[in-house]
Amino acid sequence: MDYTWHFQIVWDYRMVFVRGAIMTAQITFWATLIGLVFGLPLGLMRRSRILLLRAPAATIIELFRSTPALVQLVWIYYALPILTGLQMSNTVSVSIGLGLHAAAYFAEIFRAGINSISRGQWDAALATGMTYTQAMRRIILPQAVRRMVPPFINEFASLIKLTTLGSALAVYELLHEANNLINNTYRPLEIYTVLALAFAALIFPIIYASQLLEQRWRVRQ
Amino acid sequence: MKPVMISARNVQKSFGATQVLKGIDLDVVKGEVLAIIGPSGSGKSTFLRCMNFLEEYDGGEIRFDDRLVGYRKNTNGKLVKDSAVHVAAIRARMGMVFQSFNLFPHMSVLDNVIEGPMIVQRRKREDAVRQAKGLLDRVGLSTKIDAFPETLSGGQQQRAAIARALAMNPEVMLFDEPTSALDPELVGEVLDVMRSLASDGMTMIVVTHEMAFARDVADRVMMMDHGKSVEIGPPRDIFTNPSHARTEEFLQRVLQRAAPAPLKNPEGVL
Repeated sequence: MDYTWHFQIVWDYRMVFVRGAIMTAQITFWATLIGLVFGLPLGLMRRSRILLLRAPAATIIELFRSTPALVQLVWIYYALPILTGLQMSNTVSVSIGLGLHAAAYFAEIFRAGINSISRGQWDAALATGMTYTQAMRRIILPQAVRRMVPPFINEFASLIKLTTLGSALAVYELLHEANNLINNTYRPLEIYTVLALAFAALIFPIIYASQLLEQRWRVRQ
Repeated sequence: MKPVMISARNVQKSFGATQVLKGIDLDVVKGEVLAIIGPSGSGKSTFLRCMNFLEEYDGGEIRFDDRLVGYRKNTNGKLVKDSAVHVAAIRARMGMVFQSFNLFPHMSVLDNVIEGPMIVQRRKREDAVRQAKGLLDRVGLSTKIDAFPETLSGGQQQRAAIARALAMNPEVMLFDEPTSALDPELVGEVLDVMRSLASDGMTMIVVTHEMAFARDVADRVMMMDHGKSVEIGPPRDIFTNPSHARTEEFLQRVLQRAAPAPLKNPEGVL
């Protein structure tokens, strides 16, 4: 085994990684935003007593959870335009596709978090004269959110890694940039090593911050 | 003649196929303290929760201050479920205290007490805080204003919950077994607060297993069994001269437990 590592070449192309990381961060940002905006109502609808709200929410959630994210992205980019005439750029397709994918998982996190709050909290809030919305906003969600943070961070970290699927639609995120670089330099081992480190550098601070937050809440409550 | 605050007529409620309330009638007048006693599973708590519609009754009617609770007549004269806003408005006029306290764990004691006044009644913060401090002083928690619920004893939590309910200036207070989750030595401090409320003329409906409290504080006692009101009357009638065998049997059982027979060997040498 006498492989000679050449990390110098990676350093020379460092801006490629920076560019890819920015794109990865952008897709993650939009996907998370879409995931949160659609995930909360989906989660609330799924625990509704009204079938007309519950059934469509359950269908959408399970559809996205039971099919591969790669298939979803390919479908949105290639099949949706054929069906609807709506052609989105590859970056937008990936952001929206991963956003809906995340929404399905976020919805389940919201639902489980809200369900974990005891019925007595609802009783106390409603007996005070609060409406459903007031009780949800003031009493239930603030407590539920604290329990949602660990699963949410899990989902968020996995979402960052899922952005690599964008390479299948030629989106210039980290993996796609790295693959291009490999085609130019023939140094796959160095480049994938740095790629792994780049993802770790993106994800680790988030995991660390969530642990700090959990600790602070545990102390104060 | 004092005005009737809460009246129930033929109230019925089923959970699936099981009927838990089988037609209950009751009138509670302003300033009255009513204790509801009876074996567990008799429907006492369910009946109490129907009064502010936390539990939906499905037959008969309950009126609070002459307003139907939870239902309204539609244009055809048929009874339909009332709007959530109307139900909330009625609930805001009744206070409720729960067996498991149900303080909001993410808020300090003070924030628990001012939450209803600020969010539901939209009162000014300074006004709500001033009243809350007075109430917390009254229930003996003036040193715990900034504490979080989980740092308090059960008795302290329940007194804070009473202050929270009183902060809405309720016209009726509903107590759902307020001392059943407490360690025995903490029961007294909660009952003391309730006693002082009663002597101030608060209208109170108390589901309880504390027979001494029912006997000493209640104006009337209602005995429930199997979803029915077995009998209702002044405590001295119920406790010393019950007119139903079921009441007598129940009282014998709980009073025996409260005062166990003396030990054969009082020195307790093992």
